Amino acid sequence: MKMKKWLATLGTVSFLIGNVLAGCSNGDDSASGDATNSDQPVEITLAGWGSSPEESELLKQVLQDFETSHPNIKVKHEVIADQYMDVIKTRLIGGEGPDVFYLDAFEAPGLIETGVVEPLDSYVTEGFDIEDFEKPLIEAFQIDGKTYGFPKGYSTLALFYNKKMLADANVEVPKTWDELLDVSKKLTQGNQVFGFGQNPELARLQFIAESKGGDIVKDGNANFASEDVVAGLQPYVDQHLVDKTAAQPNEVGAGWTGEMFGQGKAAMVIEGNWAIPYLQSTFPDIEFGTAEVPTIDGKQGTMAFTVGYVMNSASEKKEAAWELISYLTGKEGMKTWTSKGFELPSRKSVAVELGYDKDELRASLVNGARYATVWSDGKNLPVIFTNFNNQFVSAYLGDRPLDEALKEAQDQANKEIEAQ
Amino acid sequence: MKRKYSPARLRDAGQGYLFMSPALFVLLLFVIGPILYAIFLSFNDVQLLGGTSYKFVAFENFAKILDDTRAKIALWNTFKYVVIVVPCQTILALILAATLNAGLKGEKLFRIIYFLPTLTSSAVLTLIFMWMYNQNGLINNLLSMIGLPTYNWMGDPAVALNAIMIMNIWSTAPFFMVIYLAALQDVPDSLYEAAELDGAGPIKKFWYITVPNLRPVTSFVVIMGIIGTFQLFDQSYIFSGGSGGPNNSTLTVVLLIYQYAFKNFGTMGYAAALAFALALVILVATLLQRKFSKEESLY
Repeated sequence: MKMKKWLATLGTVSFLIGNVLAGCSNGDDSASGDATNSDQPVEITLAGWGSSPEESELLKQVLQDFETSHPNIKVKHEVIADQYMDVIKTRLIGGEGPDVFYLDAFEAPGLIETGVVEPLDSYVTEGFDIEDFEKPLIEAFQIDGKTYGFPKGYSTLALFYNKKMLADANVEVPKTWDELLDVSKKLTQGNQVFGFGQNPELARLQFIAESKGGDIVKDGNANFASEDVVAGLQPYVDQHLVDKTAAQPNEVGAGWTGEMFGQGKAAMVIEGNWAIPYLQSTFPDIEFGTAEVPTIDGKQGTMAFTVGYVMNSASEKKEAAWELISYLTGKEGMKTWTSKGFELPSRKSVAVELGYDKDELRASLVNGARYATVWSDGKNLPVIFTNFNNQFVSAYLGDRPLDEALKEAQDQANKEIEAQ
Repeated sequence: MKRKYSPARLRDAGQGYLFMSPALFVLLLFVIGPILYAIFLSFNDVQLLGGTSYKFVAFENFAKILDDTRAKIALWNTFKYVVIVVPCQTILALILAATLNAGLKGEKLFRIIYFLPTLTSSAVLTLIFMWMYNQNGLINNLLSMIGLPTYNWMGDPAVALNAIMIMNIWSTAPFFMVIYLAALQDVPDSLYEAAELDGAGPIKKFWYITVPNLRPVTSFVVIMGIIGTFQLFDQSYIFSGGSGGPNNSTLTVVLLIYQYAFKNFGTMGYAAALAFALALVILVATLLQRKFSKEESLY
């Protein structure tokens, strides 16, 4: 008798546990189905990182427009507030990835190589007009002739200058890097106000580092200790250590160069599109202008940063996902998305239509797109970039010579690449 | 002879395990399982994204550690951090506890004030300290006011780790202070009375009675401190924005593990090996501490 009771208890418990476990795996069944062969609206997820309230409002607007024109597709927008790439990678491994998500060009080659991103060539139709995209931007999402994503917009870097400070010091806006070095001397006042605010990290420096013909990345390996790269970077470091007319933000107590510029601690900085709304809203008193980044040895150069929309290759609703991507990166969606100027349109026709090439502040940014170095250089760039930044700082602060620091960083980076 | 496993005993044991099964299940799934999986990972070359694949490489991941400059830097930073922070926070906690136990006025108020730092989450604390460490922030202003040199706390590789040490000593000492305080109440008054009769002053009483009597607690505090400090992650992560910079000066072992596991592709196995190595280091450090401190009570 007792034994039976025991068995019954065991049975009940295992039944309950079984139910709980089954409950975990039942969740997805109701959500599948495809846009083309069902009357039920399909829900797809779109993941991205958070941005300013004004920018999120704008995205909401674009998504609403999309849902109105595509009544059979609903979009669930998820904001991943922090550590975006870690969260995305983890979710992709767990099979819970979003259907469509943001992907920074910098991370794109590495993620694409693992095969989790769907190639989009078979979905693209005539009317989508790929030729319209700025070439360097779309190339960041192409590997072996296949396109894996379309840039939703971009930003380049331009020289921001404080009009009053330049007028007080009676100097012109520099056109070449030598002029910039000269002008900085006149604008610097002791160790509180510097002529030029610097950003000693590879994402901002690549075009300077490569200005003497060197290459940061060669055959997928770090190559930043080569003579040409060191020669390209030396003047930048010297301006900080020898001239003492430039400083990085934390030397004057600022968080980034935009803030440094806004606080009046730097007369000139090289910043991107995002600094314009920031400066206008946080430091409304400051009068600033933008110019194209000064030329180095007569060559124009700047950096371009771009983010694309990509599709999860494990998505079960690929047709609907493509509808969303093609709308967001299409002429209509992009026009709304870039209308407020948070990001610049990656389509030439949209840029012309919105007139950014004639905008007083943004023209220099738009002009930069032609010759910009896109911040994306193969799948090993993240490793290369971490090691570069770490050691470059020690040279930047004068702890040891630049070539020695970069040599050590390069060896370490290549060792890590080999280990992958 | 009595049988070892009678049906009744089996039934008793079965019932016991049945009632434990929810806890056992959770432990297996969330504690033992991940540990075993991590050990498994550390012997494999793992590719998780886009079609999970494992390749058995035996001890290759561990051999790689010896050849990794950043791992050495991380270990050295962590070691420096442990060696400085653990004694400082232990001594500070003991002194704070002793002053609170001395029967001064406003003792309760001070107890609350001293304990407050522990209540703040370490992430928030780090952000607040980053404000104070700012080039034009509170700490530099105070230093310049009393004529001391100021530092670029966050940007200078030579001081960045020290800045984290100061912050952490300040925030964890009060927690251990509370433990000391509880232990102090247990020290028999008779010992102090006897010492007083023998003519011992307050310092001698502290040194010859309080400190030896607190030895088991000190041992506990030091071990907890060693484990906690070896696992330093959040402060240096927030401080350096995840990079371990400037110039690798705030790179700790756990931060390096995080970078290899989540930032690089395909180095999850290596990260697991590093984690395993760290666990061994902590184990050895704890055993050494126990051996040298002789935990047995005095009586």
